[in-house]
Amino acid sequence: MPHIEFASVVNALILGLSIASIWLIAAIGLTIIYGTVGVINMAHGEFLMLGAYTSYVLQSFFGLPFLLCIPASFIVVGAIGLVIERGLIRYLYHRPLDTLLATWGVSLVLMQGVRILFGSDPKYVSVPEIFQSNVEIGFVSLSVFRIFVFGFTAAVVAGTVYLFYRTRFGMQVRAVMQNKEMAASFGINADRVYMTTFAIGAGLAGMAGCLFGVLAIVLPTMGTAYVVQAFLVVVVGGGTLLGSVAASGLTGELHSIFAMVSNDTFARFLLYVLIVVFLRFRPRGLFAVAKARR
Amino acid sequence: MDITRRRILKGSTLAAAAVAAPHLWLPTSREAWGATLKKGEPIKVGLLFSLTGQLAVPEEDSTLVMQYAIEEINKNGGIAGHEIKPIIIDAKSDFNVYSEKAKELILREKVIALFGCYTSASRKAILPIVMQQNNLLYYPTCYEGAECTQNTICTGPLANQHSKDLIPFMVKNFGKKCFFVGSNYVWPKESNKNAKIWLQNAGGELLGEEYIPLGSSEFGPVLNKIRDAKPNFIFSTVVGASDIAFHKQFKQEGFKVDSMPIASLTTGEIETKAMGADVGAGHFLSAPYFQTLENPTNVKFVENFLKSKYGKNGSTHYNMEETYLSAYVFKYGLEKALKKTGNIEEVTSRMIRDVSGGIRVEDDISPEGLIWIDGDNFNTWLKPKIGQCQADGSFKTVYQAAEHVAPDPYSIYPNSGKCTADGLVAPDGKARKNVI
Amino acid sequence: MTNNLFHNRTAQWAVYAAFFLGLAAIPTFVSDGFLLNQFATYGVYAMLALSISLSWGFGGILNLGQGIAFGLAAYGMAMTMQMQSQDASNPLPPFMANNSLEHLPFFWEPFWNTGFGIFLALFVPTLFYVIFGSLMFRARVSGPFIAIMTLAMLSALNTLILDMQPYTNGVNGISPPAALQIFGTEIDPYSSKAYWTVLILLILTTVASKLLTHSKFGLVVQALRGDPERVRFLGYNVALYETVIYTISGLIAAIAGCLWVMLVQYVSPAQLDVTFSITMVIWAGIGGRLSLLGAILGALMIQGGQSYLGDQFLNTWLLLLGGFFILVVRFLPRGLAGLLEKILGMAASRQPRQPDPIAPPHAVGAPAK
Repeated sequence: MPHIEFASVVNALILGLSIASIWLIAAIGLTIIYGTVGVINMAHGEFLMLGAYTSYVLQSFFGLPFLLCIPASFIVVGAIGLVIERGLIRYLYHRPLDTLLATWGVSLVLMQGVRILFGSDPKYVSVPEIFQSNVEIGFVSLSVFRIFVFGFTAAVVAGTVYLFYRTRFGMQVRAVMQNKEMAASFGINADRVYMTTFAIGAGLAGMAGCLFGVLAIVLPTMGTAYVVQAFLVVVVGGGTLLGSVAASGLTGELHSIFAMVSNDTFARFLLYVLIVVFLRFRPRGLFAVAKARR
Repeated sequence: MDITRRRILKGSTLAAAAVAAPHLWLPTSREAWGATLKKGEPIKVGLLFSLTGQLAVPEEDSTLVMQYAIEEINKNGGIAGHEIKPIIIDAKSDFNVYSEKAKELILREKVIALFGCYTSASRKAILPIVMQQNNLLYYPTCYEGAECTQNTICTGPLANQHSKDLIPFMVKNFGKKCFFVGSNYVWPKESNKNAKIWLQNAGGELLGEEYIPLGSSEFGPVLNKIRDAKPNFIFSTVVGASDIAFHKQFKQEGFKVDSMPIASLTTGEIETKAMGADVGAGHFLSAPYFQTLENPTNVKFVENFLKSKYGKNGSTHYNMEETYLSAYVFKYGLEKALKKTGNIEEVTSRMIRDVSGGIRVEDDISPEGLIWIDGDNFNTWLKPKIGQCQADGSFKTVYQAAEHVAPDPYSIYPNSGKCTADGLVAPDGKARKNVI
Repeated sequence: MTNNLFHNRTAQWAVYAAFFLGLAAIPTFVSDGFLLNQFATYGVYAMLALSISLSWGFGGILNLGQGIAFGLAAYGMAMTMQMQSQDASNPLPPFMANNSLEHLPFFWEPFWNTGFGIFLALFVPTLFYVIFGSLMFRARVSGPFIAIMTLAMLSALNTLILDMQPYTNGVNGISPPAALQIFGTEIDPYSSKAYWTVLILLILTTVASKLLTHSKFGLVVQALRGDPERVRFLGYNVALYETVIYTISGLIAAIAGCLWVMLVQYVSPAQLDVTFSITMVIWAGIGGRLSLLGAILGALMIQGGQSYLGDQFLNTWLLLLGGFFILVVRFLPRGLAGLLEKILGMAASRQPRQPDPIAPPHAVGAPAK
């Protein structure tokens, strides 16, 4: 093992936070959908991809600046999510494992549809000049864009927490999660709650996709690179928002540290094994709510 | 047109199977499978590339440029009056499909040669059937070497040719200290073994070597290590989507191209276009071909290709050009075999391969300039060039080898032996066929 | 009990017999090496769908990591076949020499012996399933969490094989240069011999699985698909039953892995790819996971469609495939076999509401949430 310096460790820890924020923003839409609606959304990666393509289209054809593309992606992908929920998912709520199959079909259709529309060559999204630079404080160095992603993720988490714990809608969502029938008897329209939650989850994925288009690449297949990681975050976190935050924090830091002392591939192997072992002992995730058995 | 015919062909097969008419299915002997060409009928070749999935980015262009080359050859009279007919397959970036479709092309369609693959993994998936049936695979891109079969011809650079001039060039212009970054698979590791030798010869120093999982887009940890090591330049064998992410994050993390450029074996015109010109500008690429090469053949090739219906993706790059060359290497090989036998029906795939040693594609056809096929290992003699990426994403040639560089698949494994036309000859004199 | 023909045991066995007789007849009128090889490969896929149907359809264990058994066995088989073309004077497979190995790694040594190599190819994945399965099921992991755990395990192994390049040749995989030699003969992958090998094993595994589902053990397994808690209260060791059915399904996938390498002479980490394992689940889901034969037909149909329609609809094939999945899941939750069941049920009886003998509609395939 190489000699490890203090500065490298600090840098790795800070980078770990950034990796964690990337994992978290990738997983947050999935968390909401899985946690609330109980749908295993295999098309999540394609929602990310649609977000990236939305920013590409808006920027290249309509000249929208990048920062405005982010909320626009929320709306566009949220609307697509809404259509998919109304047209397909809502018929499958009582068959949670079948949603896996159906959304896998959706992901195939979305991926191939985008390929037919835009071709299979990678697309380019330009960003403000400031995002092409870094900040250095002492020996710590981090890119502005990573800081932006971190801040953005924090804001999204705060906004989501507010929505789910401080608003009337959030109360309805939590009521439906705990007991659908009871909530219905108090006049809450569970169907509408599910629909809205699914659309919000899709929209959040769309915003994340916008950012990934800048960090990496815009391609029809780009979503597959993120979707397994997002799943792991959600499951380790137990499907709750707080759980996902903690899970992505842990996995991000572990990834960064492992990658510093060994290599990136082996870091991933260790991480997967650790997740398996973890689930052995906490099969319902970090902060699982005890669910009433029917 | 060919689709209709194929559909009928398949339909009839299925119908026959369903009706179970035994007399239609007289047993065919194994020997009969090899026969491939008929006088007066089109020459069937298979194009086995991916049009969907991860590999579609480079391989769709390969399919397009092959169709273009075949159309060009057919327009100029075909091969001895025979038209070439491509059978286009989508291998879906799935190695199982590569294997299945290679079998279909060879056994069912009875193609005389296959053009295909962009990755060694897919090549290894189809080689068993190609070798068993003594067919012929044109592998039209760079690879690591260390393979000696009697059934492949490669028109791209081997690891021993690819970085030979790049590393001394970088050491001379930027300094001795180098850091290797690659995708985690066989080709980058083999390329780096070669690069280490060139680096040592040039008096350079290797500060670190990192491999990233294929398809990964998280370069934070690697860039941190590079920042600590402070090399003069980076030697990159990162491929595909990861490569674009690497260049983007390099810039976002505040690295400066003037003080620490990336010297790459893969970052061509497709990649620079997708990462944004400001991200790619200033970095270096070693390849036998750039779109901007100024010789008349290339100027004509670029112009004609881009205005043809196959030029829809808007650029040409080294991988396409190597694929384009393979069509002519095939044409010349078949013509040479034909001259030998005098009868096209006696020409077999293996015969084409055996006479292909020494075949030259002259600079009036080859956009990268004269190349020829090695008579021992059937890879290509070529001149590697070094280009620097410009603000518009194109490459400016800053160096060109004076002499052609010989391909040597076992240059760093002298103990394995020497690849000859009849197999790998070990130091003890024993020859082994089809070493993969 | 209804008089639905679909649930009539005799009728079921008759259909199985007819199906396999049909498959057995193929080599008598097909001698085209390509078709034999392709059909044999479909047979391997069928075996994988069968294994998924056992664990998911009957055991309620949604296993997204069946590539573990398939891939490990495939590697074992590829190692065996690779060692057949090495000899004492030249013991190292070529790729190892290129990865600076000087001696054959110790865990390659047993593969000199073909019989023992194949035994290991089957034994190692099975043992892995026993250990991994008991680890999961004793912790009472259930439902989607099993799916994710198996998925994570699959990804871990995939990454490990990629990273251990000197021993596995990394992403390039292993391509044994010659066909399998066993019992003194060569099994040419394009011959009827190879086809028969696959077919016989497919018949054996299918019949064994069918008998298993009819046994007392099979009934308990199906009961715990519906409600594991209730089965536990009845005094059954649920974890044991789950581990056993999971392991049996793994063994079948391992057999498939060996046969697959025999047919294609190639293995790579792609066999442990997440997509491929999900595809297996899709086959069973489309065909009907509650019916072994349905799952088998699902695999044949999807792969056949991919082979024969994929090139005609180059651009739209994935759209069609995706759309087809969506329709089947939306309207035929039990796959095409479920459709047949419904039709036969309607033919058998005019009664408007049939009680469902297999599973209550709210517990299809999943433990209740």
